[in-house]
Amino acid sequence: MKKKNLIITCIFFIFFFITMFLSLDKNKIYSTRDYVGQQLADVDLEYFNKNSIFNTKKISNYNFTLINFWASWCGPCRKEHKNLMALSENKNLKIIGINFRDKQNNAKEFLKEMGNPFFILTKDTDGKKSVNFGVYGIPETILVNQDLQILKKYIGPLSLKDVREINKIVKK
Amino acid sequence: MLNIKTKNRLLIFLTISLLSIVLITFVFKTLEDNVLYFYSPSDIDQNEKIKLNKNIRIGGMVKNGSVKTEKNEIKFIVTDYKKEIIVSYKGTVPALFAEGKGVVAEGKLQDKKFFLAKRILAKHDETYMPPEMKESLKENVK
Amino acid sequence: MLSNLGIIFSSVAFFVSLALIYLSLAELKISNNIISQKIYKISLVQLIFSILSFFVLLLGYIFSDFSMINVFENSHTTKPLFYKISGTWGNHEGSLLLWINILVLFSFLFLFLNKNKNRNFKIYTLIFQNLLITGFLIFLLTNSNPFSPIFPVPNEGMGLNPILQDPALAIHPPLLYVGFVGSSIYFSAALAALVSKVEAKSLATSIKPWVSISWFFQTTGILVGSIWAYYELGWGGYWFWDPVENSSLMPWLLMTALLHSVLVLERKIGLYSWVIVLSILTFTMSVVGTFLVRSGILNSVHTFANDPSRGLFILIFLILMVFSSIFIFFKYAPIEKKNYALFSKEFFILINNWFMVFFLAVVLIGTLYPIFLDTLIGQKISVGPPYYNFILAPFLIPLLFLMTSGPRHSWISSEIKKIFNIILVLSLSLFLIVFFLIKESSLIINLILLFSIYLIVQTFFDFYENFKNKSINLSRIVSHFGFGLLIFFISINHIFSIENNFNAKLGDNKKIEDYNIKFKNLEVLQKKNYKSVIGHFEIINNEKLIKENLKPEIRVYNQPETITYEASIKSGLLSDTYLTMSNISDTDIFNIKFQKKPFMNFIWLSVLLISIGGILNFLKKRIT
Repeated sequence: MKKKNLIITCIFFIFFFITMFLSLDKNKIYSTRDYVGQQLADVDLEYFNKNSIFNTKKISNYNFTLINFWASWCGPCRKEHKNLMALSENKNLKIIGINFRDKQNNAKEFLKEMGNPFFILTKDTDGKKSVNFGVYGIPETILVNQDLQILKKYIGPLSLKDVREINKIVKK
Repeated sequence: MLNIKTKNRLLIFLTISLLSIVLITFVFKTLEDNVLYFYSPSDIDQNEKIKLNKNIRIGGMVKNGSVKTEKNEIKFIVTDYKKEIIVSYKGTVPALFAEGKGVVAEGKLQDKKFFLAKRILAKHDETYMPPEMKESLKENVK
Repeated sequence: MLSNLGIIFSSVAFFVSLALIYLSLAELKISNNIISQKIYKISLVQLIFSILSFFVLLLGYIFSDFSMINVFENSHTTKPLFYKISGTWGNHEGSLLLWINILVLFSFLFLFLNKNKNRNFKIYTLIFQNLLITGFLIFLLTNSNPFSPIFPVPNEGMGLNPILQDPALAIHPPLLYVGFVGSSIYFSAALAALVSKVEAKSLATSIKPWVSISWFFQTTGILVGSIWAYYELGWGGYWFWDPVENSSLMPWLLMTALLHSVLVLERKIGLYSWVIVLSILTFTMSVVGTFLVRSGILNSVHTFANDPSRGLFILIFLILMVFSSIFIFFKYAPIEKKNYALFSKEFFILINNWFMVFFLAVVLIGTLYPIFLDTLIGQKISVGPPYYNFILAPFLIPLLFLMTSGPRHSWISSEIKKIFNIILVLSLSLFLIVFFLIKESSLIINLILLFSIYLIVQTFFDFYENFKNKSINLSRIVSHFGFGLLIFFISINHIFSIENNFNAKLGDNKKIEDYNIKFKNLEVLQKKNYKSVIGHFEIINNEKLIKENLKPEIRVYNQPETITYEASIKSGLLSDTYLTMSNISDTDIFNIKFQKKPFMNFIWLSVLLISIGGILNFLKKRIT
């Protein structure tokens, strides 16, 4: 009787724990990786420092473009910033910054403190424009070629591995 | 032959077993009757068996630029980046309901493209974070 | 600097905990009657360093030290001081530190205050409790460290979510933690009891105060959580059978069964196995609950941000805890003679245990079923309130009846005492009056009303009897009285609640049943960090000629960009008037939700009465 109880109890808990373990793996949130391979959206962005408009179609003027979504209040953006500074040295690459849901002064302070890697700087104060790029959170970086095709989407801060990968791709 | 004591024990055992079976059946039947199935727009597109008059839930992201308000109702598109469905709702939208954010709607399917919602629940997470981002954030925090 | 200090203090606490385990094991080898001073001193050191590390984090929040990632992510310089402080435990890492402090505090208090004559029992309790503490400290230091530094140090924090800035929400977690984290001490005591073969009755005496205290805090914690949901979520409800709510209810059900079982064991009559198993299960259930909430497998209004690695850690900890307990229980299983006299008090308490177990199973199945289904066959579902209400409601009827008649029977004896007494007749008449007033058609609801009235009336008479005889057994009377009131008022509230959704423009008038709602004025204000849109409504009750002014508000925050809807609630003695308003974007049309919720204040009061019974039990003189 005692042994039977023991076996039943163990089986019940083993079953329970296996299911809980499996459920941890399940991915429940939608992925925006599907955007890779598609065309970059046609979006009008406001320049950071002036009142005029920058349209994403102009990106076809450059060989390779890195579009980086960042903000002064974002911790991981600080971490990746030195990688962006390194990438800005690459002559084949132009970096466009989109300042996401940020305050003008705070963003300026940030760049003054950490350096400015951006060839062109725009802003998206309410975050609504970034949605067109499939961006809902930051930091996020998109690598685009001359034909406005999305080559790579880096969700989260750029790592050294990502920097190496980008440098390799833009060499061609 | 069985004496009184054993008979009593058997009776108690049988009663408890029967009661347990009845209770368990009751619980699981009620569970089944009150379960709300959840589908993404792709599920609805692919699944032929979803009944049109049954209460279900659908969820996804509110498509940017799709929210339109008329006098009595609000219409928007729910997407999972593969398929879309139009949702119509008459009532108070909750806080945190916005374009580009997660949403769950409860109601009935009119057809594969159109959903009539009775309730809207917005995800309590005002900064949507893709799972890959969470991974890399965790990496960087160490 | 604070970051380093915090890491040092919590690491010291970790090593001290290890030392405590080692020293306790060594202590067991000495056959002695007392516990050496060393153990007491080390335990004090452990408490000091544990509190110091919490204090360091607290200071970090108070002084907005953003060199710690945790403070950066969850605080902001412009947050009011009260919310800076409560922000300390309003996040995963901080709340984990609070867990650890409560584990350590209870360990310390048990060591110093418990007067059980079996010294090995006390030492084993200390060992098991410290194994728990060590496990959680490992989790904190390796995976969820609140003191993790960030460089360069940001100027401002990210944590300015207005929804989290609420007084009820600030105290709700600490209350609950003292509740279900406090249950750790009798988890440890139960395992210790098995291993040290402590005398059954003394186990009951040892753990009773702890069970009472944790039960009181758990009840109060749940109450505060419901009050917050009612006033802040804007839906007019106070209980949604949300998986996170269920995670606090399930330990409560086990604690209630345990509290009653301890009463039996205290008189040496029985239920020893029940006490052991319930003690083990309560804390286990608490850890399961915390796993469900923090692992990200639940999708609920409450969950902390998802992180599977947290879930993995807690799951492994849970597996170790559960299988160790199973091993110890079956190895040292208590031998018990089971003979319960029918119609004795302990028989009724046994029945009560089965009711609690049944309720627990129902809630557990409802909470876990979606997870199982999703993991095993990929079908996503949600289990709604109708499941819970439909199953639990009918069982309230026999429960209420047994709660009323059970206590009137004596211990051990087995006469069928007058089950049907004059009180029942009196209650029946009262019920009939109520029935003719409200004319409810559902049989189940009527029976619930009848038997809750019976419980209310009976406990009322019990109180009078007690008072006359000058014997004080208030704890049971107060709690059962509160429970009767609770069920009664929940039922009335359910029957008579009104909800109506409609669209209106400024100046519109809407008639709903006996009420006239006029949209009188619209006010737009710019506050420090949000834009406020306030609607002024005049609600007139045509029947009673009562006028009320309500002002629901829409707040548009810009950092982070959020919209919140503040309900306007007028809480009256007999009912609450509840109004929320949202704006249909780019139009001048507002969607209004009007609700009438009867007896809300009585519902809160009932739960408060129930919890007061727990404190009375704690203060009651011990049975020698």
